[in-house]
Amino acid sequence: MAREPKFVEAKLSHTAALILQALDAGFIYGFSIMEMAGLPSGTVYPAMRRLERDELIRSQWERQSIADAEQRPPRKYYKLTPAGRATLEASRKRYPLLERLIPSEEAKPV
Amino acid sequence: MTPPWEWIARACHIGLLRVASLLVPHSQRAEWWHEWRSELWHVRHACAPMGSFSLRGEAEVTAFCLGAFQDALYLKRNSLESRAHSPALQGSAAQCLLTLAALLAACYAVALLLPGVRAARILAPIQIGPSLVLIQDAASSDDSSPSILPKQFRTWKARKQQYFDGFAFYRVTQEPVRRESALSASGELSGWGVAHASENLFALLGLPVQFADPDSGTYNDMPRVILSERKWKREFGANPHVAGMILHLGLGKARIVGVAPDGSRGLPGKVDAWLLEPDEKAFAGGAGFVIAHLTAMGQSEMYAAKVHITQFNSDNSEDDLLGISLDALTPGHWTLFSFAVILAVLALPAITSVSLGEYSDCSEGTSRSRTLYRWAFLSAKIALLLPIVYFLSLDLAYANTALPASSSAYIQLVATFSICLFSFRWVLQDQRQRCPVCLRRVCNPAHVGQASRTFLAWNGTELMCMGGHTLLHVPGLPTSWFSTQRWLYLDTSWGFLFAASGPAIKSEPISGLSPN
Repeated sequence: MAREPKFVEAKLSHTAALILQALDAGFIYGFSIMEMAGLPSGTVYPAMRRLERDELIRSQWERQSIADAEQRPPRKYYKLTPAGRATLEASRKRYPLLERLIPSEEAKPV
Repeated sequence: MTPPWEWIARACHIGLLRVASLLVPHSQRAEWWHEWRSELWHVRHACAPMGSFSLRGEAEVTAFCLGAFQDALYLKRNSLESRAHSPALQGSAAQCLLTLAALLAACYAVALLLPGVRAARILAPIQIGPSLVLIQDAASSDDSSPSILPKQFRTWKARKQQYFDGFAFYRVTQEPVRRESALSASGELSGWGVAHASENLFALLGLPVQFADPDSGTYNDMPRVILSERKWKREFGANPHVAGMILHLGLGKARIVGVAPDGSRGLPGKVDAWLLEPDEKAFAGGAGFVIAHLTAMGQSEMYAAKVHITQFNSDNSEDDLLGISLDALTPGHWTLFSFAVILAVLALPAITSVSLGEYSDCSEGTSRSRTLYRWAFLSAKIALLLPIVYFLSLDLAYANTALPASSSAYIQLVATFSICLFSFRWVLQDQRQRCPVCLRRVCNPAHVGQASRTFLAWNGTELMCMGGHTLLHVPGLPTSWFSTQRWLYLDTSWGFLFAASGPAIKSEPISGLSPN
């Protein structure tokens, strides 16, 4: 049975909120989130698995042709779902400094 | 040119990821590996690009790779949790049997770990032969008190015997004992029960002496003493090199030649040490116990593990003696267990109904296989429960090593009976609440009807199989028309209700059984 998405769950942990904020700001793969949030890989990846399980984010593999053109392996990109976006809005109220920590304009182009 | 240590570092990082990937559930492993390899490439590119080796960069990459273990462990834990909460497994027959098997393994492991159980060698017992008997005065009602005088025994042993071909005598006295090395240190030990025994006692019993010194045959300077397992552990810290030490027993000295095997624990008299002496010394004292080995003729005279003997003395008087099989005197753990299980089976109807309810299979073709399936499950549960009860009762009985053998036997008997009784009750109750089609436990009990209308309408509890196969109706008050629980088989039209909760409903016609 599919889990019910946690729409406006305000009790999201700070780490999870930080990851959602980073994704919203345009840091859309694991390593860039790590760099932006200053969190280790052992924290970021499991947290992203949880967020994906709760349907707050979803992942998609980059097309092989793009990776081949840039001579690098393809990446797995993450994106906020509508439920994730709603949760992020609720989290911003809970953690007001979230937006200042990772402002949207700092996002790197992908 | 890339330095070799850079290649080594890269190989180590790949190796770390590969090891971590082994923790990831198989279904997710390929994608997980793909993602982490890709990320590693990017991390390396950013932190330690090819040709610019730096320890700091390699350390960052290593830290990144170590994080893969946390990710892999998270996925593994998540997979285990979701499997445990899977509706297909919840309440299923497989889950029940797996739980019982795990419980059995735990009880067996505890039995192996507990020193008391290990010491008793219950898992690999040394049994006293059935042809050995304890001889005592027929008038004596207490097996544990000595009743044969040395004079009686000497006279009797001197005569030609048809029923017996070997004898040993021992008498138990309380004596102060101390270790020679402890003369100046801890001083005297407490009083021990010392058995002054014939030298052939252990050979007659057929019990090998443990931790014996191979040179013990050369110790002729002083009497030989064999420690009981209990004293060996308490006083000598289970030292395997105890043989050769000297003990002061009363006024004399004796050399320890080994540790008595557990089979000797069942012999009457509370013995801490066996002092092996020539007959003339062992006989110098009060009454004792006589162990004898029966000939084939003697064994044929045994009845109910006893043999009656009449001894004619030189003054034409007669002594009535009784030989009791040592095997019967010290019932084995299996004997106690079997007895308690039989008692529990007999007592079971007193605490629960032994009926499994009414099963009315609706499909002729499958009813036999389902019945077999049900009985096989019931048998498997009992087959797993009996060893659980056996090992659990041993764990309880022998957890405390200081308890005498008789107390341990008593605890084992009571524990086996109690655990067995309530286990059988659980087995029957569990079986009654298993769907006859899929053997999952029915759930979601709902009370139907009113108790005040029992004679006008049905009242009781309705339970549901989450697989959507059946409904169980249990009457609140058994009546002549609805005395026991009944099953109502659901057809496929009910399927939509259970689509998301478990295995698909097989096509079953309604049996026509209804509460009313």
